[in-house]
Amino acid sequence: MSVETHAHHEHPDVVGSRNRLGVVLLLVADIAFALSMIFVYFYLRQQNVNDMWLPAATSEHPAITPLASGAGWTVTAIAAFGLLAHFYGLKGVRAGNQTQLKLGSLVALVASIAAIVYQFNTIATAPFTFSDGAYVSCFYMFAILNFVHIMLTIFISLGNWNRARLGIYKSDHWHVDIVNVWWVWMVVSSLLGAFALSHP
Amino acid sequence: MSEQMTPQTPQWWKKPDVKKTAILWAICTVVIGYGGAQFNIRNIVSPASLTMSGVIDLMQIFTWASAPVAGLVAAICLTVLTSKRHYGDNPPADADHEIANSPRVVGLWIVVSSVLCLFALVAGFIVIQKDSAELLDSDAIQLNVTGQQWLWSIDYPNGARSEDVYLPVNKPVVFHVTSVDVKHSFWIVQMGIKIDANPGYTTETAVTPNKIGVFDLRCAELCGLLHAYMQTKVHVVSQADYDAWLNNHAAIEKGA
Amino acid sequence: MTTVMSKPVSAPGKSIIEKLNFFTALALGALSAIVVWRLALQFLPQDTEVRLFTREDKITLLSMTAWFVGFMTGIGALVGPFRWLMGKDLTHEENMFLAGKDMGVKRYFRYTTDHKVVGIQYLVITMLIFGIGGILAMLIRTNLGTPEGGWIHPQAYNSIVGTHGIVMIVGTIIMVTGPFGNFIMPIMIGARDMAFPRLNALSFWLIVAAAVPLLWGQFLGGISTGWTAYNPLASQAPLGMDGYIMFICIFAISTMVAGANITTTVVKMRAKGMTWNRTPIFIYGVVASVALALPAFPVFFLSQVLSAMDRALDTSFYNTAGGGSGWLYENLFWIMGHPEVYVILIPAVAALMEMAPVFTRNPLFSFNVAIMGIAGISGLSILVWAHHMYMSGWAPLLNTPFMLTTELISIPTGMLFLVLVGTLWRGRLWMTMPTMSIFALLWNFMIGGITGIYLSDVPADAFLHGSMYVTAHFHYTLMGAGLTGALAALVYWFPAMTGRMFDKKLSWISFWMVQIGFNIAFIGMFTVGLAGQPRRVEAYASTFNTGNMITTGGAYLIMTGMLVLLYGVISSWRSGVIAPKNPWQAKTLEWTVGYPVPLENFDVLPVVTSDPYGYGKAKS
Repeated sequence: MSVETHAHHEHPDVVGSRNRLGVVLLLVADIAFALSMIFVYFYLRQQNVNDMWLPAATSEHPAITPLASGAGWTVTAIAAFGLLAHFYGLKGVRAGNQTQLKLGSLVALVASIAAIVYQFNTIATAPFTFSDGAYVSCFYMFAILNFVHIMLTIFISLGNWNRARLGIYKSDHWHVDIVNVWWVWMVVSSLLGAFALSHP
Repeated sequence: MSEQMTPQTPQWWKKPDVKKTAILWAICTVVIGYGGAQFNIRNIVSPASLTMSGVIDLMQIFTWASAPVAGLVAAICLTVLTSKRHYGDNPPADADHEIANSPRVVGLWIVVSSVLCLFALVAGFIVIQKDSAELLDSDAIQLNVTGQQWLWSIDYPNGARSEDVYLPVNKPVVFHVTSVDVKHSFWIVQMGIKIDANPGYTTETAVTPNKIGVFDLRCAELCGLLHAYMQTKVHVVSQADYDAWLNNHAAIEKGA
Repeated sequence: MTTVMSKPVSAPGKSIIEKLNFFTALALGALSAIVVWRLALQFLPQDTEVRLFTREDKITLLSMTAWFVGFMTGIGALVGPFRWLMGKDLTHEENMFLAGKDMGVKRYFRYTTDHKVVGIQYLVITMLIFGIGGILAMLIRTNLGTPEGGWIHPQAYNSIVGTHGIVMIVGTIIMVTGPFGNFIMPIMIGARDMAFPRLNALSFWLIVAAAVPLLWGQFLGGISTGWTAYNPLASQAPLGMDGYIMFICIFAISTMVAGANITTTVVKMRAKGMTWNRTPIFIYGVVASVALALPAFPVFFLSQVLSAMDRALDTSFYNTAGGGSGWLYENLFWIMGHPEVYVILIPAVAALMEMAPVFTRNPLFSFNVAIMGIAGISGLSILVWAHHMYMSGWAPLLNTPFMLTTELISIPTGMLFLVLVGTLWRGRLWMTMPTMSIFALLWNFMIGGITGIYLSDVPADAFLHGSMYVTAHFHYTLMGAGLTGALAALVYWFPAMTGRMFDKKLSWISFWMVQIGFNIAFIGMFTVGLAGQPRRVEAYASTFNTGNMITTGGAYLIMTGMLVLLYGVISSWRSGVIAPKNPWQAKTLEWTVGYPVPLENFDVLPVVTSDPYGYGKAKS
């Protein structure tokens, strides 16, 4: 029923395509996670139970209003900049230009650090507390998702830059391709959050 | 259906195992249909509304509709089990027929299961339509039901309030159900109606009781420590008794 | 990875990888939990809000998170990522060490990446989970032996019901894809290991890490909400709820990781010549199951994260006073919850489909229909969740569409029946415990399926929902069909995993005890459901007495049967008859490697040239 062939070393392309599929599948899970947050947002907003989506003014606090749309979009812009920088590096390594890779990944790392500082600032200076109604709850939900995503991005960018610096990507560069996939999703997810929070 | 499994032989229906399966199929269908229907009718509560009678009819129809399918599977299993069994540590020789597929059987199977599925849908849909008509009845008595850990309170149109439910016979009632703490579920067992009591929302269900007697109201959603004891009685009485009770109770409520 | 090399593990000093094991993980986990608990107690500000438990919830959740991080660090889960960060990828020798080369029993207590070790680890933990869940089930049934309940306090009883539920759900989710999906599946497709061996170890150790918060929660008031943990009941429940929340979050990560890993392995690593037509049906079942979990479990994860935020931060996702909605929780929960029952069922049925040709010496009837059935069930299962919410009132107008999708599932389910029945037809029955399990599955699944049709019908559900009838129905599908398939798989693949045959007599005795006990117990439960007994009650009206007595009696018979099975596993594993290389004369690859299976399974990779179910045809 079966004959056997001889073993061989696995080609980096085989390993790379396998890793890419694995990451894409994990992203499917993360995408489902983010999409269910969008569901939470629109469900609570549409239900507006007890008129507490955006509570009216009381003696204790003024009326809650949605955030100015700038905050969410700024994080997205920083992330998009990071993606562009990373992509620039990726194009470099594809063309065999290691210097361009090092530069691109370093800028991407700096962008992700800038993003986390900004995101932390948004959360810390938000003009409400956790118990200020359903909109505010959703704000924290998206903000925390972004925060966690950016933390992961910092880890990944740091490793990517470090490995570029050490010259590990001279022989094969599928890691850099996969990091690019992550950056794309990072931008899209923060876009989703920003879109929902700017109260369309 | 199974008979077609050997389409290449001209006289497939004369093979002994096919005949045996056919006979078993007929027997199993009757046994399963009758047994299932008897099982349902002997165990289910006796209905106190047309809604509940509808539920029982529906279950009996589904039982009989699925009996031929279950009967066929059982018949084939019995035929296989009663022939050519092999015991021992080594495998028997390979089976001597080699049907790896039969488009006709597959097609027939899918068509039959689709038809049965469509039938179940239509039957259910008709009953839904009938039941929801009561919600729109303008003569219906409107009762407000509030669940809380762990009792029910019922508010009547004239201001009376009680923990038991009193209903006049043969008159449609609409229940507006809500909860003050956690989720409960308002279930009048013998009338076949149920709706969750959600905090922050009001939900509706309706029924026309058609039997005088005492029935059960139980909470059907786990609601904490004493969930098992969150039950009370539903008294269905004649219109005159109902009016008397209502006036009496409203007076008590006002006096308090 | 390349072929096995005979180089010894070269260790200049003892590297960190070699020091870490289960015990360092336990120590580090406990230490971090205690430190964080102390610090939180010291420094977290007192509550100013009216809500009662917020601060306690914060402390509990933080300490449980600390346990989790500490445990995973201690077991060595972070070594790989940090080595990647440093640019010092693991060497071949280090990977061989991680795979457990030449380590004997110790490798079962480490972050071992060999899929066969992970498979055995999963098998043992599944048995432990069933043991715990079974004891809880017996407590429930014993308490329900008399109408007034009695000797278990209601709070404890509710917690037992909830814990039994969640523990058994998790046990049944991993019972086939864990042991057999890990041990058997890579060999069956002719691969040397999983696509991501370290993720494989991660998915197992995450389950171990998750078990502790659940246990811990038992000492903080337990899970008094049932396994569904509906809000707002869950937000008023004691601190044990935080244990449930942590448990679900960690378990969801484990499931997602395993899902990505197994799917990649099957898509990318099948042997040469194993086209999709020649891929065994069991592989399809496993992939459908784990791939379905990928989009489903994140939703469950989110539902619990929001629950934790409601409890610890006083947000209002589910709290109606603040604009939240209990219906939101129900939606999130069941969007995961219904695919999840097929995550349980599909691989168990697929395992029996794998065995049916072997034990009837017939080709698998209509391979394509089997795949259509599996694909149809998986696809439809994500569209049916709201049939759990017909009676919640969240959207009465959507009841009819959800009734449509739910009843449509009976068509692909019927296909699975057709495949099994068609394979049996004119087969030459080789009477073994797995063979009889096929018949048992058909019987139980038929009852589970037909009662499912009643429940999917909105008017009938208005009567049956929330009653014991539902409990009996899903035990018929998950236990009667699912567990039956898993136990058959255990007996069938026992020789491949342990090198010994499962004791025949014991397998038969336990089979009949479990199946008879099961049918007694749950037919009894159908009767009280029809008579109107609600679920999850610790006391009931005396009219339900007979049915409950029958159920309790059946439950004791199941327990005895399961103990016989446990004895069978232990005694056969220790001193069973040594198995020949291919005891069932099956045609799939897992029987070609012999026992013990070499570290990387195949010295030279196989090439598949024929269909795995070519019985009754010209021999190739």
